[in-house]
Amino acid sequence: MSDATDTMQTADVPRGLRVNVVGGAVVMFIAGLIWFGAIGLDVGQLTRLGSGAVPKALALLLLAAGGWVMATGLMRCEGEADRLNLALRPGAIVVAAMLVFAFFIRGGEFGPVSTPQLGLTVVGPLTVVIAGCAASDVRLGELLVTALGLTAALLLVFADLLGVAVPVFPKFLETGIGGAVGSEAALRITYGAYGTLAAILYGLVFGWRRKGSD
Amino acid sequence: MIELFDHLVLGFSAVLSVQNVLLCLLGALVGTLIGVLPGIGPLATIAILMPLTYNAEPVGSLIMLAGIYYGSQYGGSTAAILVNMPGESSSVVTALDGHAMARQGRAGKALGIAAIGSFIAGTFATLVIAAVAIPLSRLALSFTAGNYFALMVLGLALAIVLNGGSVLKSMCMLLVGVAMALVGADPLTGEPRLTLGSDMLYDGFDVAVVAMGLFGIAEILRNLDNPEAKPFAGNVVGSLLPDRKDLRASAGPIARGSLLGSIIGIIPGNGATLSSFASYVMEKRLSRTPERFGKGAIEGVAGPEAANNAAAQTTFVPLLTLGLPSTAVMALVGGAMTLHGVVPGPQVIDLHPDLFWGVVTSMWFGNLMLVIINLPLIGIWVKFLKVPYHLLFPMIVLICCLGIYSVDAQPYDVIQVALFGIAGYVLHKLRFEPAPLLLGLVLGGILEDNLQRGLILSRGNVWTFLSEPLTLCLLFVAGVAVGSALSPTIGRNRRVLAEEN
Repeated sequence: MSDATDTMQTADVPRGLRVNVVGGAVVMFIAGLIWFGAIGLDVGQLTRLGSGAVPKALALLLLAAGGWVMATGLMRCEGEADRLNLALRPGAIVVAAMLVFAFFIRGGEFGPVSTPQLGLTVVGPLTVVIAGCAASDVRLGELLVTALGLTAALLLVFADLLGVAVPVFPKFLETGIGGAVGSEAALRITYGAYGTLAAILYGLVFGWRRKGSD
Repeated sequence: MIELFDHLVLGFSAVLSVQNVLLCLLGALVGTLIGVLPGIGPLATIAILMPLTYNAEPVGSLIMLAGIYYGSQYGGSTAAILVNMPGESSSVVTALDGHAMARQGRAGKALGIAAIGSFIAGTFATLVIAAVAIPLSRLALSFTAGNYFALMVLGLALAIVLNGGSVLKSMCMLLVGVAMALVGADPLTGEPRLTLGSDMLYDGFDVAVVAMGLFGIAEILRNLDNPEAKPFAGNVVGSLLPDRKDLRASAGPIARGSLLGSIIGIIPGNGATLSSFASYVMEKRLSRTPERFGKGAIEGVAGPEAANNAAAQTTFVPLLTLGLPSTAVMALVGGAMTLHGVVPGPQVIDLHPDLFWGVVTSMWFGNLMLVIINLPLIGIWVKFLKVPYHLLFPMIVLICCLGIYSVDAQPYDVIQVALFGIAGYVLHKLRFEPAPLLLGLVLGGILEDNLQRGLILSRGNVWTFLSEPLTLCLLFVAGVAVGSALSPTIGRNRRVLAEEN
């Protein structure tokens, strides 16, 4: 089931790094969170279960189950004592890309920070390029083609065909562009331009590559 | 019997509008498009595409969802046959002989027989659903709250035990899912529960958001861990239509696969995978030339593909008639139905007959669409398979972001998806299977509600609650199932089975 890259089958994995020890601890932590969240809720009686009854029962069950998982890890049953290996970089980069999308697609107040609206025309390519950096080999030219091409396609499908209310332009350009040619025309010109740009870049990037490889 | 056809006619009349057929076509198309991408299985595909269906009205959106479901399944088989990268466990078997056929330049025939076999199996399974739906939902309607609670416990227990993997860990995930279902406003009093003081959680967890994170994004992160494999994608697809000899060889396997799959699919658990394995083993046993299996025997593609499609379809039975989703995909479908104001359960059939029969017939439509659109489009899918992963996954990330944002225009939803993506990746690394979590999330509310009502009916006497014969019986079977899976000897056998998979 598990691939060899996941785990190292060494005999002496430190207890704190074993898959099931960490897993059990995580489950017990979640049990703690549930209990903490339900602490002020009434358990009620059997005739009339309160809103806290099921959450508290779940927390206790989870605590026990998590403890059991942890015990299997500590006692080393076959695969349960494998070392936990996490790759942090790809996850962090993909999440960063998604956060950029979330914060800037329409802007707004996020706790103490307020962000401007940048719209799909800016945020779309940005998300693709940032996320693409999570790969082990990053080729910026290819990524740029993908980013522009996909954004053009999404603008066409979501904003134009499906009519989904998604911010398209940055706030500071929105009124200016919309006023000049009408918002619909502006949208079509934009995805047309992105698509063309992607096609030209495709020719440049991939055509050059082919020449280079000859 | 006549009643059955009346119902199917009702279903067809609900489904047959230009708009709905287009939605089904679109669903099947995008479902295949995403499903064919290597490393992305049906579950991830549906999680990624579910927000697209929110814009249509209930019937239309469920039909589109059905299209996506079958499209993603077929896409998974396509990837398995062409590049030997099965998107999920149910197409692992298809890859054995299907990919061998592809290497012999017979990829077209393998894809063709997969589509034809799936369609025949789908037609048969549609009839099975139509036949068992009414009796089962009648039975379910006579259940008391206590019975219902016990039935759900049994369904969940079977789903966990038959799914493979550690039962203990699956149980942990299930409990976490149930707890997550309770987050938000209390259904009776409206007071916030388990929100830890956060306003964001007052509305609870959205099934689509959780699924997209746990299955869509997490799958990308998992794939990024492994070095990119250069998939073999032969240019020679060959003739698409199986010739008469192929058809004669496949007829038996398709018929047996349809029957086997329809039966196994109804039982909670991973029916699609189980039935495709069972069908493969059976065909190999029945074959006069078992040594050809694994080296491009068309029976080894036709049987399992028919079986897994029939099972994929009859897994709808427990969801639609009992309100009991038995797989993570069904949990998603159930979530989507709830979102449109239709709570899956025995009452759907009476309250929304057009919708119920519409869904049943749309399954058949979804299968038909696959045959119509996918056979001519195979060339395009082959091209898609050649897009390198380092360009593919950033695209999926953006599609996910935009998809979930377009539902409610809520940036917080995107942030939640990202967080659940990380959670799913960590869970995978800790070897927790996240599918039971989704089942718990969908069922948690109903589970609590039935427990409360059951206890009220038995006046708070746990013994009265439990001693009702049916409740006791169902809970007993659930206990035996889980207990036996946890016991060392049977547990070892299950592990052997899982490794063979």
